[in-house]
Order: sequence, then structure tokens, then C-alpha cells
Amino acid sequence: MAEPIEVLGNGKMLSMYRTMFMIRRFEDRVNELYMQGQIPSTLHLYVGQEAVAVGVCANLDKDDYITSTHRPHGHAIAKGVSIKSIMAELYGKKTGCCQGKGGSMHVGDIQVGMFPAIAIVGANIPITAGAALACKFIHPGKVAVSFFGDGASNEGAFHEGLNMAAIWNLPAVFVCENNLYAASTPFTTTFKIKDVSERAAAYGMLGEIVDGNDVIAVYNAAKKATERARAGQGPTLLECKTYRQCGHSRSDPRGYRTKEEEAEWIKRDPILLLAERLLSEGNETSEDIKRIEDQVNVDIEGAIVFAKESPDTEPSDTLQHVYYG
Amino acid sequence: MPKMTIAEALRQGIREEMQRDKCVFCLGEDIGVPGGFGGAFTVTLGLSDEFGHERILDTPISEIGIAGVAIGAAMAGMRPIADVQYGDFLFCMMDQLANQAAKMTYMSAGTVKVPMVMRAPVGATGRGSQHAQSLEAFFTHIPGLKVLAPSTAYDAKGLLKSAVRDDNPVLIFEHKLLYGSKGGRAEKGALSPVGFVPEEEYLVPIGKGIVRREGKDVTIVGKLLTVYRALEAADQLAQIGIEAEVIDPRTLIPLDKELIYESVRKTGRLVLVEEDNLTNGWAAELAALAVDECFYWLDAPVKRVSAPDTPVPFAPPMEKFYVPSVQRIIEVVKSIF
Amino acid sequence: MAVDVLIPPLGQTVDTMTLVNWYKKEGEEVIKGEPLFVIETDKANLDIEAPASGTLCLISARDGDEVKVLSKVALIRLAGEKLPESSLPPTDIPVASQESANSIIVNNASLLDRPKRILISPRARILAEKEELSLDDLGVFSDGKPIDERLVRSYMRQPQKIHQDISVPAISPLARKIAESTGLDWKKMTGTGTASRIMREDVERVLKNKQSLAENASIPSSLTVGDTILLHGAREVIATRMVQSHTQTAPVTLSSEVDATAFVDLRAQFIKEGIHISYNDLLLYLLGRVLRQYPQLNASLIGQEIKIWQEINIGLAVDTDRGLLVPVLCNVDQKGLTQIALETRQLSERCRNGMCTPEEMKAGTFTLTNLGMYNVDVFSPIINLPQTAILGVGRIKKMPYAFEDTIALRYILWLSLTFDHRLVDGAPAARFLQRVMQMIERPYLLMV
Repeated sequence: MAEPIEVLGNGKMLSMYRTMFMIRRFEDRVNELYMQGQIPSTLHLYVGQEAVAVGVCANLDKDDYITSTHRPHGHAIAKGVSIKSIMAELYGKKTGCCQGKGGSMHVGDIQVGMFPAIAIVGANIPITAGAALACKFIHPGKVAVSFFGDGASNEGAFHEGLNMAAIWNLPAVFVCENNLYAASTPFTTTFKIKDVSERAAAYGMLGEIVDGNDVIAVYNAAKKATERARAGQGPTLLECKTYRQCGHSRSDPRGYRTKEEEAEWIKRDPILLLAERLLSEGNETSEDIKRIEDQVNVDIEGAIVFAKESPDTEPSDTLQHVYYG
Repeated sequence: MPKMTIAEALRQGIREEMQRDKCVFCLGEDIGVPGGFGGAFTVTLGLSDEFGHERILDTPISEIGIAGVAIGAAMAGMRPIADVQYGDFLFCMMDQLANQAAKMTYMSAGTVKVPMVMRAPVGATGRGSQHAQSLEAFFTHIPGLKVLAPSTAYDAKGLLKSAVRDDNPVLIFEHKLLYGSKGGRAEKGALSPVGFVPEEEYLVPIGKGIVRREGKDVTIVGKLLTVYRALEAADQLAQIGIEAEVIDPRTLIPLDKELIYESVRKTGRLVLVEEDNLTNGWAAELAALAVDECFYWLDAPVKRVSAPDTPVPFAPPMEKFYVPSVQRIIEVVKSIF
Repeated sequence: MAVDVLIPPLGQTVDTMTLVNWYKKEGEEVIKGEPLFVIETDKANLDIEAPASGTLCLISARDGDEVKVLSKVALIRLAGEKLPESSLPPTDIPVASQESANSIIVNNASLLDRPKRILISPRARILAEKEELSLDDLGVFSDGKPIDERLVRSYMRQPQKIHQDISVPAISPLARKIAESTGLDWKKMTGTGTASRIMREDVERVLKNKQSLAENASIPSSLTVGDTILLHGAREVIATRMVQSHTQTAPVTLSSEVDATAFVDLRAQFIKEGIHISYNDLLLYLLGRVLRQYPQLNASLIGQEIKIWQEINIGLAVDTDRGLLVPVLCNVDQKGLTQIALETRQLSERCRNGMCTPEEMKAGTFTLTNLGMYNVDVFSPIINLPQTAILGVGRIKKMPYAFEDTIALRYILWLSLTFDHRLVDGAPAARFLQRVMQMIERPYLLMV
């Protein structure tokens, strides 16, 4: 990781910092609002994994596709879905990115290349292969990226999707965010292998492992994967080792892991890591970073106000949009 | 006007749509393998020669993958036609159909569309319990899916073309005994209905049923194979003075309810014939609708002629017992006169 | 077996009656023949007696309820039988005892005893209603099988075969019921139903026309209503009967003055002898004899046939609190004067107390109405259908009168005979009246 400043340039670094901080701040505020009873849904927060979504999506254009999971806020923000519309969706408002039809687990916006997040574990993987197939046929140069967890890697859909992407050499990147726990079940309970990326070989696909808490490492790995995909060189399984600092959902006391383990990972918090590098390797001062953070805070508070003040859905809206057109 | 079997008509429909729109492609197991059979029932036979293996895409035996890829491709702008080798395998991909395909438009508040077609053969044909089920009713219970059941060559082509152009996930159920597949893929006991299919462009609209036979005494609604069974029963019933009207809804979702209501209001009697098993079935839903909307026109209890609540049996005497026969339809009709 | 307590068919124009009140309570012991409850028909209040001895239970109609003829209103449990105490659903969950288990069984049995429901398809029901067919008739026709449209249609074809009497138009039972209850002569109507069948609509249209004519003619808007009395029970029947008579007969009234001095003397003689006889008794006696000689006046027009009755049963119009009632004295021509006097007194008394049975008011063949006590002289009585004539008697007035070439004080009486000209011509009616007058003027002729 000796090359980031030169390769990325300050602008890109700061932009990624800004997005990661926005995800973190968004999740923290959403958590508070949930605790205050303001948000009606359950929440699966992305705290601790921000580097993965941001590092990958920094390589994507608006026309590239991503599919997400039940833990989609970070992916949505990183892909460019407006925080106002995500926040309003969590509030179940008409101005939400799914007009209240999705909720936390289904945020997305096709305008920026994000399908509604798919909360059935692993189900988004073959769909990503399908989107990649469409890219290959009718959107040459575009790529389809799938985010999923270590848990999803044990679904049949993972196997079928990766295999098909491999045999047809599809422009896809399969990003496994290995946060060590499938809900509460530790990785080692459900995997005989050490790394999910080993499975890539089974499909004749390139598999890579990257430090998922190092956004620059993620960015660089994803850059290679997406470039290969765009060039018609086939899909990649990119395993990002990371850690979910919060519980699986809002009702998770995290009794299945130790405080020590959590503390170790928090020491390696991805936002902290990037800030340190910005200060040590870049030209940024803590004031610069503070300025970014303040602006993000303003934006998030604005999104909350927007969501709160937005109109509720009408009961009769239920009946719309079952079919297209 | 050429005469075609349903398999040929479907093939012709696929061919026309693939010629018309480069976003249309087929995927499925064994559909384009050189020297293979063009899908289990020859529908795509020869198409890979015309369109190449990228657009007649042979897949691994991966039903989840087939469905997922079709959905993803459709959401990203293509118009896939997925071939399910046997309808029974739909259960393998149930999550993709029920949770993904059917819900994407809704969850995205109408901003995402899933214009995919999935063709699935159904019907008991001497293959035992896992290659024989009639699954239409399952999918009529999933809001967001459209469900078609063409029973003639004309409708097969016209409906397939409409389905390809529809912006929603459409399941087309085809009956194995109606394909008229030839050669090694021919079905024993097949009806092989051959019909005139216009060479020129035409569409059969989704959501429009058809009266296959007019009658004043009783309305019989069947689908796929049971349309033919009902027609045969109607001919025999006419000999004892009962004139049955036979309706083929052609589209199960959205259903042409008015066509059925109109007929029931005329005849006052309704008999529903399905190859699926009885409980909580398609016929049950139609019976409920008829009682709801036509109660005061009804002159006799609404009757269902369905398969028993058992898996589809293998041995011919049992299978014969299982599938509603012409005789059973006649007996049930007679029981309400 | 327990014995059902049924509402008896009382042969009147209505099939529902009011159960006025029970004499007995649920669970009370009753003896066969003992009055159980009183029922009000269109004509009278009537005691209904216990059909068996035992315990009264399962009372299902309360005081004041409208009850249908032949409906079951209670059960009499014979000694030693175990039966539920009430027909109402139990409010408590039954205790799982031997007794309650029995109750449940019996309850089921009583459910099975209920009259069979007529099964009819919705479509057939709508057709039957449109054609105004009675479900009961259809039920009989179908012989217990569910009724469908086909059966209704074959029923509709079938009754017309019976009704080949062209002079009487076909009419739906409902239309007929309405027409007859309002006195409308449907036999002259032509209907708009299938094969010119008279339908409810037709009847209602005619009635509405009549009513609007009547309303336009008779209710000035400047009047305010002081009190409104519902046309109900006896009053309703009277109204119906009167209109019926008025619209269905060809009434002619003949009035004559008669010297009743001898008649008055005759009665005075009886009184003097201690034989209490009223003028009405004498008139009834007299009419019984005269009618024997003029049978045309003791007849009814039924359809296309004039029926001359064997019996001479004379109705006597009686004023009661409940309105005009006409108890009938049967076989008057065969009864002696004292018997007539006795029966008349009893009849009138029972009538005024509302105790006359409908039987006692039916089967009249002629009617006598006397308004003398109200100082009426001449009036035009209205025929009590299906009778042919009615004799109205005015007051007996002492007045100067040409008698044997002088003017003398004599008792003078007016008789007003209304007869139905459809059956009887003026001359025979006049001769009948003449004969009655002769008998009054010269009562000794009664001895002949």
C-alpha cells in the first residue's frame, strides 16, 4: 500500500473519506433515531465495513450495476443514492427511494445503478450474473458488482451464480464482505476452508483477498477486478476481511463474540485508518477533516429533517406498482 | 396459412421476437446444444444455428442461476426467455421467482422492471411425481407475476410474443401432451393439437380468455389439457341434451373474469376442470369468484373436477385415475342437472 | 313422544295471527284441554287448548308475537320424558353431566324435526320471485328435490294446463293475494306477465291508480290529522270485505215501508208471557222461513256457477268494540223461536267479548242487519260476500198512518234489501221482500 497518494490523489482520498464518514454518521444517527422510536423498521447497520462499499464503488460509474443485501445503507450511499431518499425510505415516507415500498432492507435507486437491495441472503448473486450478462450483450464496458457476506457464500445461489458468471466470462465482481459472522454464527463453524476466496478456483475464477478495513487496499483490488471485467477478462471473487462493529440487527446483544475481539477490530476502524493516513501521508490537516465531517453532519441532519417533514404514504398506495407500467 | 404444433408455434414465436429485438435471448438447460434436442420438448430446436450460442444460451443445471440470471438480465435491459425443463423444477428457483422477480417492481415503487419470460412444461405424462405436476396455481398466488396457459398453437405463438414484450415477469405453462413434439421427444398419448398459425405478425393479448364452444346449459372452464377434455365431454353431453359452454381463459393472471362471469350468468352452472390437485387450488379460486360475482345467477352448486390430493402417481392405471378424465367431467356435469 | 303445540289453522284470510298472551309458563304442568294461550285472529280472540297433558316447555313465541299458522310455539313434555328446558341457546357452557348430554341429543332431534327447508338455487329463486311463484308450491312440485331454474320453468308451464278456464285469467299467487286482500277484482284484468299472467306489478298499478283517484278526491290539504288509527285486525278485514263487496257485486237496494203493528204486538205478547224474544229473533225466525221459499236469495256466485245453499245460515251484524262482527246462526229455518233467541243472545255476547270463534262467523248464507236502535229508517246495506243479499231493518216508529180507511197511530218499519243483481233480478228480489213484509204485517202467516 505504498502508492495510494500518488495513484489516487488527494481529491479521491478525501472523497472516499467523506463517503465513509457519511455512512458512519448516517448509521449512528439512524441507530439513535431507531432507539427513539422514530424509525419503524429494524436496521442492519454497516458500521465498521464502510471501507468495502466505498473502496469498491469508487471504481464504479452511475451506469454500472450493484446488488446489495439486507445490510444495504452503506452500499446505497457509496453508489450515490441520495441520503435524503434513503433516510425518507427508513422513515417509510413517500419521498423515500422506494416510496415506502422497500424500507431499510430494500433501498436502491436504479437511476444510479442500484437495484432494490435483496434481503434474501445470496439471492442477489445470480441476479448480478444476469445483470453482467446484460452488460456483456448490450452495455459493453459496464460491470455488475454484487455485495454479500460470508454467510451468503454458503447459499446454493452463490455457487450457481459464480459458476455461470465464470463459464460465460461475465463482467462481474463478487464482493464478499467477510465480517466473520453469519448473523451470530462464526465463520469457522460453517467453513472448512480458511478463506471464501479459495472457492473462486472451483469456478475457474480469480479469487482475491484484501483487508476490508483498508479502503485504499479495497479500492485498488476492486480497480483491478473491475478493469478486468470491463475488458472482458471475466469475473473476480473479491474477499474483503472486515468486521461488523455493531450487532447483526438492532436486537442483537452480540453475546457470541468477545469484547476483546471487538476492541481489536475497533482499533482498526476503517475511518480511523484512513484519517491517520490522510494526516500522515497527505497534505490534509485535522481542520480539513473536521470541515468535511461538519459538512456531512449538516447534510445528514438535513436528510433527517427532510425525511421527517416528508408526506406519509397513503394506504391506497399499497395497490400500486405490483406490475410495471 | 401453415399448420403447426404448439412446439413449432412457440419456436416460431421465439424466432420472430429474437429477430425483432436483439435484447431477446433464450437460456436454459439443453436448449441449444449441437446435436441435442432443443430443450426437453424441442421448442428451441435449431434456433442456436440461427442465432448462435450466445443468444440460445445453454446453462448448467442450475435452476436458481437460470432464474437469477434471467431476472438480473431483465432488470438490466434484456428480455430473456428462460426454458425450465420441467415445471416441477420451478420449486428449485422459487425464491428467485417469488421473492425476486415478483417483487422488484413493487419494492422499487415501479422504477425497476423485470421483463422476463419463463416457459415451463406441466402435466402428468408417465414420469411419476417429480416431472408431472401442474403448478400453475402456485404462481397465480404470487402478486407481481403474470401466468399464461396457452392450449393451442395459435395462442402459444401469440401469447409468447405478447409475453416477451410485456414489462413484467411472465410464466408460460405448456402442457407436455399438447406440444406435438416429434421424433424422440414425442409424448405417448399426446393430443398433438395442430392448428393454423398465421405467418404474419399477430399477438394474443394477455388477459383475454376465449369461448372454445358455445352452450347454454353449463359453463366448463378448463386450462391446457383439460380444455380438450372439457370439449370432448361437451360433445358427449350434447348427445344427452346438455349444451356445455367451454371456456379457455388462456391467461390465468390477469384472468378474464368477465368472460367467465358472463357465461355463468347465462348458463347458471359452473364446472371447473384442472389437472392440479383439489385443495386450495385454481378451481377453488374460480369457484369463489363465481359465487361472489354470480351468486344470484347460479342454478346449481359450483363443481370442481380436479386431481386428488396426492402426488402424481406413476403407474398408468393410477395416473389415468389421477388426471381428470372426460368421463369424470361428464359425471360431474350430470350430477348438477 | 313430546307433543307440539301448534297454532291452529283458523280458516281466515290471514295466515299470521297475534299470540295475545300465554296463560301458562315455561315448565308449568298443563292438562289436556286446558287453555294455554289466547290468540287474536282477524275476527276474534280465541283460547288455544293444550293438546296433551304434561309439562309445557320450549316456548318459542312470546306474548304479542306474530305467529304463523301451523307454526310450533311450544312443546308438551309427557310425564317421564327428559327434555331441554328452553329452546334458547344455552348461555352457559353445558356441564358435562348425564343430563346435559341427554339434552344435547334431544336438541339435535328437535332440530331434525323442523320443517324441511325448501332448497332452491339462487337463480331459480330469482325467477320464482320475478314470476311471483310461491316457494311452497314449488317445493311441493319438486317433491323435496332442490329447485333449479328448469324446474321452475316446468312448473310455470304446468299450472297453465290446469288453468285452461279461459274466462279466468292466470295470476301469480302473490298478485292474487294482494288483489284479494284489497278487494280488487282481478278476474277482469289482463296481466303483463308471461302469457298475459297478472303479476304483482299489474295489481299494484291498478291499486295505485285507484288510490290516487281516491286521494285526489277525498283529502283536502287544509285538514290536519287529529288521530291516526291503523287498519288492523278486524278493522282491516272489514275494510277489505266491504271494498270487495262494493267492487265485486252488482248491488241494488230495494226499500219498503211496512206496517209492523201486529209484529210489535206479537213480541209484546211473548214478553207478557215471560218469553224474552227480540225483534231480531223474530226477524231471524221469519227470514228462515221465507228464505226457504226464495232460495235464489240464499245463494252464492262461485266462479261461473250459482250455488244454491241447502242450509239457511243467517249472519247477524253485531256492533262490538272491535268493530262490526257477523256471527252466524246456522239452520235458522229448523230452529224454534226460543232456541233462536237463546243462541242469538249467546252469540252476540261472545262476539262482544271477542270470544266468537271464526267458525261461528263463517258459513253464513244471508245477513240481517238492524240499525233500528240507532233511529235509522232507511239505508243501503252492503252485501256480505259471498252471500247474495242482506236485509237492513230500520227503526220501528209509531206514527200516523193510513189504516183501514182512517188515519191511525201505527208502528211503521222500513226494510232495505240489498241484493246482488248478478245472481238475482229485481222482480224476484222484490217478491222476496214483499213476502217478508207480509209476514211482518201478518205474523200469523208464520204459522202456516
